[in-house]
Order: sequence, then C-alpha cells, then structure tokens
Amino acid sequence: MVLTADITLPEESELTVEEVNLSTATLRAGSFHLGKYCEQANNEFMLCRFEEKDPRKCINEGKAVTACTLEFFRKVKKTCLAEFNQYTNCIDKSSGDFGLQHCRKTQGVFDGCMLEKLHMERPEFGYFTEVRVHSTNRPKPLVEEKAVYPDTTPALPDDAERKPARFGSRFYWMTE
Amino acid sequence: MSEACQIARKQDLPPPGGYKPIPFQRLPAKQYFSGYTMFAMYIGITAVSAYLYNINAKRIAKNEIEMRSAKMAIYPMLLAERDREYLKQLRRNRDAEAELMRDVPGWEVGTYYGERVYKLVPPDTLIEPIFHEYYAHSSPTEWFRRAYHKLRC
Repeated sequence: MVLTADITLPEESELTVEEVNLSTATLRAGSFHLGKYCEQANNEFMLCRFEEKDPRKCINEGKAVTACTLEFFRKVKKTCLAEFNQYTNCIDKSSGDFGLQHCRKTQGVFDGCMLEKLHMERPEFGYFTEVRVHSTNRPKPLVEEKAVYPDTTPALPDDAERKPARFGSRFYWMTE
Repeated sequence: MSEACQIARKQDLPPPGGYKPIPFQRLPAKQYFSGYTMFAMYIGITAVSAYLYNINAKRIAKNEIEMRSAKMAIYPMLLAERDREYLKQLRRNRDAEAELMRDVPGWEVGTYYGERVYKLVPPDTLIEPIFHEYYAHSSPTEWFRRAYHKLRC
C-alpha cells in the first residue's frame, strides 16, 4: 500500500454521519429541486473538492451537503409526499434508465405542489449544465511557486540583435 | 448379309416450315421513372428524412441534457458520501496491513521495509492507491464483483 503511517486519515467516528438512504429513482425525482435548494452547499463542496484535490480536506463541506440533502427530503416528505411518491414510482417503472421524459404528467403535479407549498420553483431547462458563478469566503489554496534555480543560464536580453539564420531554416521544407 | 444390315436412315433436317427466328434483339426492362425523376425523388426523400431526423435529434439531445442535469444536481451528495466511505476504507486497509505484517521484522506500513513508494511528495500527501491495492485485503469475491462490474449489469 502507499498509505504510510504519516498520512493523517480521519477517524471513523468523524466520518460517520446520517447518510441519505434513498433509491436512485427517489434521488432522480427530487434532483432538480434538490440542486436548487442546496446549491450553496453543493457549490462550496465541489469548489473545495476541485481546488484541494483531496477528500480529507472537504469532510465538513461534504457533511453540510448531506445534511442539506436530508433537510430537503424531510421537507418534501412533510408536504408533498403523495405527489413525490407518485412521480418517483413513475420514474422507477417507466424506463430502464430512470428517464424523466416519460413522466411529464406526474412531474407537473409534483412541481405544482412544490411551488404551492414550499415555494420552490423547478429550475429552468439546462440550469445545472450552465456555468454558474459562486461567491464564497473560502481562501484560495496556495499555489506552489515555480522553482528558481540560481545557476540558470541567463536569457538573451530583449534588445539583443537577432540576425536571420545563417543556413536557412531547420525545417528543410520551408524556404526563406 | 450386307443387305440384312441395311437400316432405313433419316437425314437430320430442319422442321417443316424452317426454324423459328432466333430472338437476338435486346428486351430492356420496363422503365418506371426517368433518370431526372429518380434524382428528384432522391433529393426529396433525403430532404424529408433530414427534416424528420433533425426533429428527433433535437428531442433526444434535450432529453440527454435533462438527464445530465439531474445527475449533476445529485453528484455532490453522492461524492460526499463516497468520500467518507472511501476514507473509512483506507483506514481499514491500513489497519489490516499493520495487523497482517505485525510479525515481519523491519516492516513499516505503506513502505517496503521503510522505503517509501513516492519519495518526492510531502509525507502527508494522500496518494490514492490503485485498484488492486485498495482491494488487497478484501475477499476475492468482492474483488471480482468490482473488477467485472460490467459483467453483472
């Protein structure tokens, strides 16, 4: 293994939180409203994950994401459970890949309920594939500076005379 | 003797009235369309099919974008969950290795008798182990399940 004793790994107790124990169809059914509801937490986590490139440094952000997801689904369960279950059932049973295009009617019912009771609008088409600006307080991770070698060959000064090549181009198929 | 062997012979001759005329003339197949009509039909059918194809292609592209959006919306949650489980498993693997190599003198966990695999990175850098290392302490059944995941579904 490449995992030496020097590498700090978080304890199991630090990593144990309540997980989102839901099926694919359920997650797919709630995905659009969920993505909008937890946008801040999600973006914060993904930014951390892509900037740091290290899962150990983004555990707290990840916990926030899971907590937000749970909160969202609890809200849905409290208000629009029947409509949500109907939509989920449709997604689950209409196709092999949980396609959303087969369930427009039940989707309409669910969206109406979400808008009416939770004031959550379904994001417009293509919202999650667009580039979105995220404002954050996260400090930017330090970029490793370029190595400076004291014995580098000094570069030619900018105002040095640059004569044309004496024996033509090294690319033989190019002429002057 | 020679007279007894005489057989009445009949000369092979054309049938009465002569042979039928030989049909040597070309008989071309019946032509339903002229060349120009066929070109026009080709262009017409292609144009109509392209139109219909475009309608379908747009619909399919829209559905794909929608499915991708749905997947992207839940990806952070799935990744967060996966990261936590991954880190737990890394710790389990390290503990398993320490337990397994306990009696080997000079063995240090994660190294080859004290020689590190990656020497130029800082010691606290997490380098993700390759698949075979990650599954080294699991049962072969689990290894097979993950390695040949596509065989099962």
